[in-house]
Amino acid sequence: MKNNTAFCFDLDGTVTRLEVLPVIAAELGLAEEIGFLTQMTIRGQIPFEMSFRLRCRLLADIEVDTVAHIVEDVPLDEEIADFIRARREHCYVVTGNLNVWVRRLVGRLGCGVYSSTADARPNGKLGALTSILRKGTAIRDLRSQYDRVVCVGEGFNDLPMFEEADIGVAYGGVHPPAREVIENADYVVGQGATLCKLLNTL
Amino acid sequence: MQTVEHAVIAVAGLGSRLGHGKPKCLVEVAGRRILDYQLELLRDVPDVRLVVGYLEHEVIEAAFRLRPDLTLVRNPSYRTTTTQQSYWLGSRHLRGPCLYLDGDIIFEPETFHAFLVQARTHAPLIAVTQAKTEQAVFTAVQPGDADPFLSVTSFSRTDRSLWEWANLACLPPGLLEENGGNVFDRLSLHLPLRAQAIVCCEVDTEGDLAQAETFVAQMHAQQAAGPARHVA
Repeated sequence: MKNNTAFCFDLDGTVTRLEVLPVIAAELGLAEEIGFLTQMTIRGQIPFEMSFRLRCRLLADIEVDTVAHIVEDVPLDEEIADFIRARREHCYVVTGNLNVWVRRLVGRLGCGVYSSTADARPNGKLGALTSILRKGTAIRDLRSQYDRVVCVGEGFNDLPMFEEADIGVAYGGVHPPAREVIENADYVVGQGATLCKLLNTL
Repeated sequence: MQTVEHAVIAVAGLGSRLGHGKPKCLVEVAGRRILDYQLELLRDVPDVRLVVGYLEHEVIEAAFRLRPDLTLVRNPSYRTTTTQQSYWLGSRHLRGPCLYLDGDIIFEPETFHAFLVQARTHAPLIAVTQAKTEQAVFTAVQPGDADPFLSVTSFSRTDRSLWEWANLACLPPGLLEENGGNVFDRLSLHLPLRAQAIVCCEVDTEGDLAQAETFVAQMHAQQAAGPARHVA
């Protein structure tokens, strides 16, 4: 495999076997509210940024470290996780989720991360949202370091990543990829093992 | 079974001559889709790639139901490109030999598997079959360097022969080109080519489809009667 290729992975429903926010919500008794927003976002019925701000508001009263611990235990697709760990210098998680929530989970993988960012307040609660990641930005940033960028994702908010990447893989291991993602992809795969086999041939 | 590592099936085309309003891989022959027959023959090949174009969402959904570990490769330019472009996209980046087949063919299993066994170690290897289709690409065939191989020395649409190109080949990487013309024109640059005879039935027209139904019925009858004999 060439060392001049970066591999970018969506987190929710790609590297993780479950969507992260619904898991948080279930732990905190907000399953219905967060689930509704997540479905609307996956279908592209509300913009990701609006949905994300609303979801953050719902979780604003929870200590960020409590959320980070819940997220840390979200099950991963072990084959994708192994692929990332074996090439951690060239793999990146690209997620709209907050840095303060996903840092422990990404730590399990040991790779780079592009995420939305927020501050934690002195009392441990969520502070101000300081940035919401547009996933295309991550790919553009990686261009300065790599000759080629490969991206893997499934949801509407992954589209900017597919538009910027050299090779796009629509991944349907957790749920079917959005049609628009398929239509912007080079490859479509339905299993983690197949995905890794494909990535190894690129 | 020891077999090739990679296979690419081209199913992107419109299938307009048949005119069923769906890709030919989803057309049923004797109650089963052509894709179903082909995937069964390729069940021991670890990396099977399907190059999709026309009605891609329908094909992707059907394909994953038949074999969840497939890789789907998109050919968004399927309306204006040839099968060679689908093959090129399907095997792009691969570093080993790859089996290529058209998605509109019913293959007789015994001769197909014999081809697969040889293909593993003898790429480039192409398949020929007894000439019978309306728009055959005829192949001039001579005895090959060793049994069971034949040697193809030319392709032609006009110089009739007993054999035609069967749209099945195992080729090393780099032999196909991006945005190229017909596959057989590309193969012509590498003649003579080692070949092996197979038995198959291509479905391009309504007449072919009727023949394919008969072909499948005969295969089933032979299987029921015991070990098959084939006129290769």
